[in-house]
Amino acid sequence: MSAKTKSYERFPLARRIEHLTMLLSFTILGLTGLPQKFPTAALSIAFVNLLGGIENLRSIHHVAAIIMMLGTVWHLLVFGYMAYVRRTRLSMLPSLQDAKDGIQALLYNLGFAKTFPQMGRYTFEEKMEYWAFVWGTAVMVVTGFMMWNPLATVKFLPGEAIPAAKAAHGGEAVLAVLAIIIWHMYGVHVKRFNKSMFTGKMSEEDMLHEHPLELADIKAGVAERPVEPVTLRKRQQIYLPIAAAITIVALGALYGFVNAEQTALTTTERQIPTIEVYVPQTLTPAPTQTPTSLPTASPTPLPTQPGTDSTPTAPASSLTWDNAVGAILQNQCSTCHGTLASGGLNISTYADAVKGGKSGAVILPGDSVNSLLVIIQQSGGHLGQLTPEELAQVIEWINAGASEK
Amino acid sequence: MSKWIKRHALSFGLVCALLGVFLLLLVFTQPTTQASAAPLAEKHDLTNDDCLVCHQKEGMTAEIGGQAIPLTINAEKYSASVHGEEQVACVACHANITSFPHPEVTASSPRDFSLEMYPTCQQCHTEQYQKVLDSVHQTALAAGNTNAAVCTDCHNPHTQTRLTNKDTGELLLGAKLVIPQTCAKCHSTIYEEYKSSVHGSALTNEGNQYVPTCIDCHGVHNIGDPTSNSFRNSTPGLCANCHTNETIMKQYGISTNVINTYVADFHGTTVKMFEENFPDQPTNKPVCTDCHGVHGIMKPDDPEAGIAFKKNLLVKCQQCHPDATTETFTDSWLSHYEPSPQIFPVVYYVNLFYKIFIPAVLGGMIFYVLTDVYRRFIVPRLRGGKGASHK
Repeated sequence: MSAKTKSYERFPLARRIEHLTMLLSFTILGLTGLPQKFPTAALSIAFVNLLGGIENLRSIHHVAAIIMMLGTVWHLLVFGYMAYVRRTRLSMLPSLQDAKDGIQALLYNLGFAKTFPQMGRYTFEEKMEYWAFVWGTAVMVVTGFMMWNPLATVKFLPGEAIPAAKAAHGGEAVLAVLAIIIWHMYGVHVKRFNKSMFTGKMSEEDMLHEHPLELADIKAGVAERPVEPVTLRKRQQIYLPIAAAITIVALGALYGFVNAEQTALTTTERQIPTIEVYVPQTLTPAPTQTPTSLPTASPTPLPTQPGTDSTPTAPASSLTWDNAVGAILQNQCSTCHGTLASGGLNISTYADAVKGGKSGAVILPGDSVNSLLVIIQQSGGHLGQLTPEELAQVIEWINAGASEK
Repeated sequence: MSKWIKRHALSFGLVCALLGVFLLLLVFTQPTTQASAAPLAEKHDLTNDDCLVCHQKEGMTAEIGGQAIPLTINAEKYSASVHGEEQVACVACHANITSFPHPEVTASSPRDFSLEMYPTCQQCHTEQYQKVLDSVHQTALAAGNTNAAVCTDCHNPHTQTRLTNKDTGELLLGAKLVIPQTCAKCHSTIYEEYKSSVHGSALTNEGNQYVPTCIDCHGVHNIGDPTSNSFRNSTPGLCANCHTNETIMKQYGISTNVINTYVADFHGTTVKMFEENFPDQPTNKPVCTDCHGVHGIMKPDDPEAGIAFKKNLLVKCQQCHPDATTETFTDSWLSHYEPSPQIFPVVYYVNLFYKIFIPAVLGGMIFYVLTDVYRRFIVPRLRGGKGASHK
């Protein structure tokens, strides 16, 4: 059958490349955009991880957005050429007939109408999708600009416009992705696999089903309106400079869109506040409590009266073991040199004290300088330490003969 | 029966002996598993009273490396301390002291002495000691900073009272109050800042037990490096610990939605994604502390510094957006508000529009597609005829 084998060109190569560009950029935008709208979802987190992190994902999103905007500029230029130079029919423009077709198709599906509507080059379904795409792209470009350039935006709009843009960008994204899945997938892949956007051709049979009016126009030779070569040339000469100007302006605008504002993207290096961490409180430092007269590492001179300490002659003294020295030593020394008799020394009684310990006598009556007790106490560092006054008394007592009573 | 016993007397005896040895081993090995109790239970030759005879004398000092070190122990304070309560022997820690005169101190300074002494704490406090090994203090110490805190700098072993409930391990309220003062010993300027903050002033002035002290954010013994990326990225989670707690927040009328609203925003989304995937990587997007402050967190409506005021908030924005010069820019952040007809109405109505628009459009599409499926694929089958196209 010729209807099966005969086919008509539906989309020239340039349009098919255009479609492929939009298809890829749209898919990438959706895949990289939705995780940002649903950041807490496990799937989002996994996908972001897959792409090497949120910043990478955003970069990819931005590149895809640039590609889609370039595609949009190209589409507008092609539209201009077709509308002005070729003067082809504006077959994508919606009309009242599309609404009628839609209603009739619905009624037919439900069994209320006898026939399916006969449609032209673009069915109402295709027009609906095209204009949804136009609307969506416009919303995404405008709101995307606002998020990409928040500082420029607040020069003209209140700050609230930016989160509002973000809300619209996300809402529109969900709508667009789902619409593509429901409408586009069903319309061109499920109900009948329409390969014309990839092959560029459509069989006569498919034309008869999908676009019978266009097929009739083609057969009648009125689908294309030929243009005189001279007129074509003339129009081209007018259009091409305009198109070049539009291109330059559009690319300039796109460049500005992408590059005008860096501060919101890369921002400044994060400042780690440099604070002095170790600032100890200046409380009264415990160590300075040391009384100056307490023993230090280097032996200090005797705090006793000069002249008396080393005189072998026994000076008169009222101090005895019983009236003073015994009590001093018992108070200060008996913990260790009491019943414990540390080092063999026990100063509990006068007799024991005078007897001394393992190192021999510690008290040499009349000779405080050579008495071990005095030597140890004067050199300091002993655990039990007499006060300077107490030591002075002990020295005086020894020098006076170290009497018991 | 008796014959049997006689015949097997040898093996029976052997089994009994083995059992006995096994039981003995069991008994003797048992106490060592209770590591923390061991030093307490030990019998020491020197009792605490022996030590106190000398060491409770006022003004008793010794010198280490030319610097005096106090040797006086306040007996009352010690018995009131947790160590006193548990009757820990002085020589449990000062294990090298067995008699008098005491062995010579080899440390070169009082600080050096503390550094020599603190590992003794692990005898009982193994878990805490292990945690400290991972801490920023230990790292600094290992790097040669002898000022870095060791156990005894925060916990004076002679006076430290009980900090946690013995049974539940919960921090005691009284203990909570002194935590910042403890850290202040070395971090005094930070303490001053904290004291003036909404959290610190509530703690110090009102004894508020719900506000965070140092350890709620920094941890206790395994205190990490607060300048690290991972610590910064974990900030929202830290704040969320309390700020999503309904019972705590309702006392102050604070929203528990602050984290959700943060994550819903561009900045929070980024940090959330970062935290999940690359907790160690730096991000230049702000976390809670970048706007609210770190130690000196003020109420948002603080008349001086509150970031509910646009002029104060703008300063925060400018940290990362230096070109932001108008206060209107601050409205691009929703200040943790959920948009409503009163607050941020444009955002609210945009959301509302899509809430209606999306189901309306998709519902229409789905309806049409279903009718097409019905007509195209189901009706022909019902009619039993072939032909998947409309006539």
